[in-house]
Amino acid sequence: MKKFYLMLLLVVGMVVLAACSSGDEETSEGGGSEGSSSVDTITAWAWDPAFNIAALENAKEAYNGDGEYEVEVIENAQDDIIQKLNTGLSSGTTNGMPNIVLIEDYRAQSFLQAYPDAFHPLTDVINSDDFAEYKIATTSFEGEQYGLPFDSGVAALYVRTDYLEEAGYTVEDVTNITWDEYIEIGKDVKEATGKNMLTLDPNDLAQVRMMIQTNGSWYVDEDGSTPNLAGNESLEKAFETYKEMMDADIAKIVSDWSQFVGAFNSGDVASVPTGNWITPSVKQAADQSGNWAVVPMPRLDMEGAVNSSNLGGSSWYVLNVDGKEQAADFMLNTFGSNPDLYQTLVEDIGALGTYSPAAEGDAYAVEDEFFGGQQLLTDLSTWTDEIPAVNYGLHTYAIEDILVTGMQDYLNGAELTTVLENVQGQAEAQLK
Amino acid sequence: MSQQSTKKGEMDLPVRLRYKETKREKTGVYFKKKVGWLFIIISVIAITIFNFYPMVQAFLLSFQTGMGGNLEFTGLSNWQRLFGDPTFIAALTNTSIYLLIQVPLMIVLALFFSVLLNDPKLKFRGFFRIAIFLPCVTSLVAYSVIFKYLFGIDGIINIFLLNFGFIPESINFLADPVWAKVVIILAITWRWTGYNMIFYLAALQNVDKSIYEAARIDGANSIQQFFQITVPMLKPIILFTSITSTIGTLQIFDEIVNITNGGPGNATISISQYIYNLSFEYTPDFGYASTVSYVIVILVVILSIIQFRVAGEKK
Repeated sequence: MKKFYLMLLLVVGMVVLAACSSGDEETSEGGGSEGSSSVDTITAWAWDPAFNIAALENAKEAYNGDGEYEVEVIENAQDDIIQKLNTGLSSGTTNGMPNIVLIEDYRAQSFLQAYPDAFHPLTDVINSDDFAEYKIATTSFEGEQYGLPFDSGVAALYVRTDYLEEAGYTVEDVTNITWDEYIEIGKDVKEATGKNMLTLDPNDLAQVRMMIQTNGSWYVDEDGSTPNLAGNESLEKAFETYKEMMDADIAKIVSDWSQFVGAFNSGDVASVPTGNWITPSVKQAADQSGNWAVVPMPRLDMEGAVNSSNLGGSSWYVLNVDGKEQAADFMLNTFGSNPDLYQTLVEDIGALGTYSPAAEGDAYAVEDEFFGGQQLLTDLSTWTDEIPAVNYGLHTYAIEDILVTGMQDYLNGAELTTVLENVQGQAEAQLK
Repeated sequence: MSQQSTKKGEMDLPVRLRYKETKREKTGVYFKKKVGWLFIIISVIAITIFNFYPMVQAFLLSFQTGMGGNLEFTGLSNWQRLFGDPTFIAALTNTSIYLLIQVPLMIVLALFFSVLLNDPKLKFRGFFRIAIFLPCVTSLVAYSVIFKYLFGIDGIINIFLLNFGFIPESINFLADPVWAKVVIILAITWRWTGYNMIFYLAALQNVDKSIYEAARIDGANSIQQFFQITVPMLKPIILFTSITSTIGTLQIFDEIVNITNGGPGNATISISQYIYNLSFEYTPDFGYASTVSYVIVILVVILSIIQFRVAGEKK
């Protein structure tokens, strides 16, 4: 009666899987004919017309190589891209697959490992030293560089200077602080202004992810697959901090994106700790111009933690299908080596790349009136270079779904070590 | 007697004509059979290719594990994993709760509405019928999003309850494990009651009015009429709707994803959403995902057998 399409989708996936298992010889044959893989049109998939699609269009215009091919940019929802890649790649047929695709960094390893031959290595194509170091760990696999790092997910603390002032603080007071100091300031701000310090969504642990990355830690071990939850000191500290924020009553609870954006647009919260891609949303409230500043992310109060973290961000991948040489050529010529393109991206769409040579350009030095004349992009680029590199591994979202239940238990009074041992056990049971 | 008369009748026909007639009839039957097969052969082939073949493949897949395309046979390991997987158990529990509360609630409501709306003395019958059936034409996603906003912390339900002083402060329905389930159940009931009601209305039209008349003459009141006549007469339809609703609820997906996205924690996650997560949200593990989907198949079979036994005709 309802919902058959989910099953249908699975079933279609299975049919193609079956076709794949019986067609192994064919696949290897396809691999042999690498010489004649030239095509007239290469396709690229991305999801945001205001951001990465626009970046691709800019790159098309900026292309100045001698390759003779058309680039077709196709917009798909991110979830659709994930589904299409999964069904397509697991079937082993390359029909309908794009040449270039944008993949979120948290998901990159699962694609690279689940479909080992599906991606075209770019090790010899791009110079990985040109890109922010933390991006390289997530976009490479077994020594080969597969991804061309694109947007920076550098996290920052967006603060309302007027609220801080009311509580007797300056921007310097919130610069390079720890989360513990942040909470203290939050209490004072709440007392002075009645405003909450930040929003929290108990179903989305982005806050925890950003916190533990300041200390170079993640949900999984270095190997990218063993859950690292029980006994993970950074995670313990992040959970404690999260609970302190709840207990101190400085957080407004939200449950979705529109409430999250609504909270700071309507002036309900004094700060927003999140990825830099929030800038356009913060600027939506034009009447708050001049009342905002952006400072480095608070760090965990631990030895070795730095005031820089990451949230989100994505990278380009070239699929191992006909036209891969052209796709790699296009990528190298544009995102891989053209600092001017990054200047255009910053000017036109506010997209902050992770290509280091671009950071010296003029566009990055522009003073942003909304943020009180701060050289926002220069600051963000500097912080990007300091983001501790971690291997996001395979199971970010799977583990996070388990952690969310653990967080609920913890907030309801369960003991932290028990909670983390519990989620560790669950994660090990689920991720075999 | 009749045989004799037929024979007699045939006798009257000229022999040649009779012979021809039989021959034509014979080829006709043969031809008709062939044509009949031709008509259904397309659907038979289509069902085999698109239904049975994938079912068998999915079953085989449920014995394999691995990421994405690197699958290998691992025997019963997926099935073992199933029973130690807390997320699966949470999904199964939630789905069972939806099933046990929502399906009976909806069937009873639908039955109740259909009897009310079948009353010929009721004014604006057409309007009420449309009003109750209308939710069924709305898109699953659209109505889910509306429910999400209705029950949001600043939603109209909270505003209403606050303004009339029923509650001291807003309830965060979607962040509370119990309330979130209540919202999901309310939403599905709102969406599907009218759909089931239509089946009952159609069936009620076929119940002979004279039965009720006879009952009234014998002095049966309307409650007795409902339980002694309406319910037994509608038994096959009740069975049908409860089986289709059971299957539908076991596969519930859109409402969960759009209203709560499985949250808070795993408090509302359904089996279908877990299958989706395993395939597309997490590192793809199609083998395990199809094991979980076969659990739905097994549940549907078991529950349908039980429903047939309880409500169906005993042979």
